[in-house]
Amino acid sequence: MTIGSRKHGVGYYVITVVAVLITIVMIFPLYWMVATSVKSAAESQLIIPTLFPREFHFENYLNVLTRANFLKYYWNTIVMTAGVLILQIGTGTLAAYGFAFGKFKGRDIMFYIVLGALMIPLQVTFIPIFIMCSGWGLQDTFLGLILPEAVSAYYIFMMRNSFMAVDQSYVDAGLIDGLSRFGTIQHVLVPMCKATIFTVTLVTFSNGWNAYFWPKIIAKNEVRRVLTVGLAQLKQTFAGQAVSNYHEIMAGAVLAVLPLVILFMIFQKYMMTGYSKAAMK
Amino acid sequence: MTDSPARTPQSGQTGIQEKKPLLTARTKSKIVDFLFVVPALALLALFTYYPVAKLVQISFTDWNLLSPTWDWVGPKNWIWLFTGSGAKYLWNSLKITFLYSLGEIFATLVGGMILALIFSRMTRGFSAMRAILFVPKYVAMSSCAVVFMWILNTDYGVLNYFLSLAGAAPVDWLGQKSTALISVLMTTCWRVLGYGMMIYLSAMIGISPQYYEAAALDGATRTQQFFSITLPLLSPTTLFLLVTTFLSSMKVFQSVDILTEGGPSRSTEVFVYLIYRYAMVDFRMDRAATSAVMFFVILLAITVATMKYSNNSVNYDS
Repeated sequence: MTIGSRKHGVGYYVITVVAVLITIVMIFPLYWMVATSVKSAAESQLIIPTLFPREFHFENYLNVLTRANFLKYYWNTIVMTAGVLILQIGTGTLAAYGFAFGKFKGRDIMFYIVLGALMIPLQVTFIPIFIMCSGWGLQDTFLGLILPEAVSAYYIFMMRNSFMAVDQSYVDAGLIDGLSRFGTIQHVLVPMCKATIFTVTLVTFSNGWNAYFWPKIIAKNEVRRVLTVGLAQLKQTFAGQAVSNYHEIMAGAVLAVLPLVILFMIFQKYMMTGYSKAAMK
Repeated sequence: MTDSPARTPQSGQTGIQEKKPLLTARTKSKIVDFLFVVPALALLALFTYYPVAKLVQISFTDWNLLSPTWDWVGPKNWIWLFTGSGAKYLWNSLKITFLYSLGEIFATLVGGMILALIFSRMTRGFSAMRAILFVPKYVAMSSCAVVFMWILNTDYGVLNYFLSLAGAAPVDWLGQKSTALISVLMTTCWRVLGYGMMIYLSAMIGISPQYYEAAALDGATRTQQFFSITLPLLSPTTLFLLVTTFLSSMKVFQSVDILTEGGPSRSTEVFVYLIYRYAMVDFRMDRAATSAVMFFVILLAITVATMKYSNNSVNYDS
């Protein structure tokens, strides 16, 4: 155990080497995505690929943004995500307050009804929802994209738990001081549960941004297509003509993930506490 | 569901419920409380519970989107699903979904645990590497899928290039039955490994070092310590990962849709893809609804089973 140095055994260095190798393998797909996205069409399909791009063709990005209408997809994704977020936070916060502090009959049964919804994903219910939304003329509309996701049982559950951790006396004090229920939520509960709200909101945001299943079904048309679906379609339109467009598809892939990766790099700490909190529940 | 209004003569303050002056302040307060949960409940009723009932109803009709009318047909679709021509595809997709789930669970639990042990060192370099390993979790599945489609490409894919350096012949990863599911799982693994690692690591940090000190004093080796301290104390984390991964992997759709579209010859047709195909490709709402009800029952059974199991076999000491 003392070959390498006096301080550490061989095992220490073996683990370091293994860890570095694993990291390289894990980051390679991301590197490859970015590297291919700046290659020319010809360079992207060499029999012996160039591991580092010979020339940088940033116009690939411009092509994807304009020719493939990615700007439109960006807008659609942003509006959809914002709409889902606002509605989920709105309905979720109100419901969490009602379930945590409300004193009406049947409260607990109703809460179980909410929890039960956690077991019924959109992948089960999409057929009737699709028929309903089509009947209301919501195909290829923002409302159609947003409405079925307007309430999240997960959000209600997390918010209720965090509200219940707040001592009842704070809420009572607020009411005695003349705050309305909305005032209590706004001035007492929300400030005290900021961390949870932030984390849950981040998770909701990333779910909205990455949504694929429902948008693919309800918004087939170009006008309300979102990034994830548009990216997958990029492959279909171009793949008809051999593989010559993978450099552009990779540019599209970079564009689709960039906002989220940047956001989460900034908020890494909150995300991690969010995930581990969920794990410890 | 709601409170029945108490018919006492003294009315409370005026407010939202002005129309009903017969209510006491207390009842009124209860009703206002109830109003807070109404929007969420109404939306859940409309977009979660009503559709389930509707699904059951559709499964007893012959509804398809191509014809304007539909009729009741009794259990015809159910017979078709279990004994008719639908049975073959049902069992096929069930088998593939469970194989996929098994793969994703294995990657998250075993892969995540191994990575957690390798990357547990608390230095700046290791912390940076951990962050890198976690990044794929942030990458949208659609981007992951197209990147792997490119990496796995038969002629120009970089994986086949690396394999050729080792002298192997090019593999048609996504185009042949024997490797298609493995390719989908490769994409999944890349995405979940770092997540499993992070969850395990954050739980490991919570284990008191005293356990290890005591074990070391008693002469336990590192391996013994791992199996008799670390693993048992991490059982709540393992259970959490198992349940959430199992349920989410049953719903896999996106990677399959982009990478293989269920093919070749249905070798990656997972359950959600089967339902999707019946509904949105064949427009057979009756068959899709029947399969969807079946899927719901399976999810319910898994949830109930894991909940029951989790109550009596997990070590909550940590």
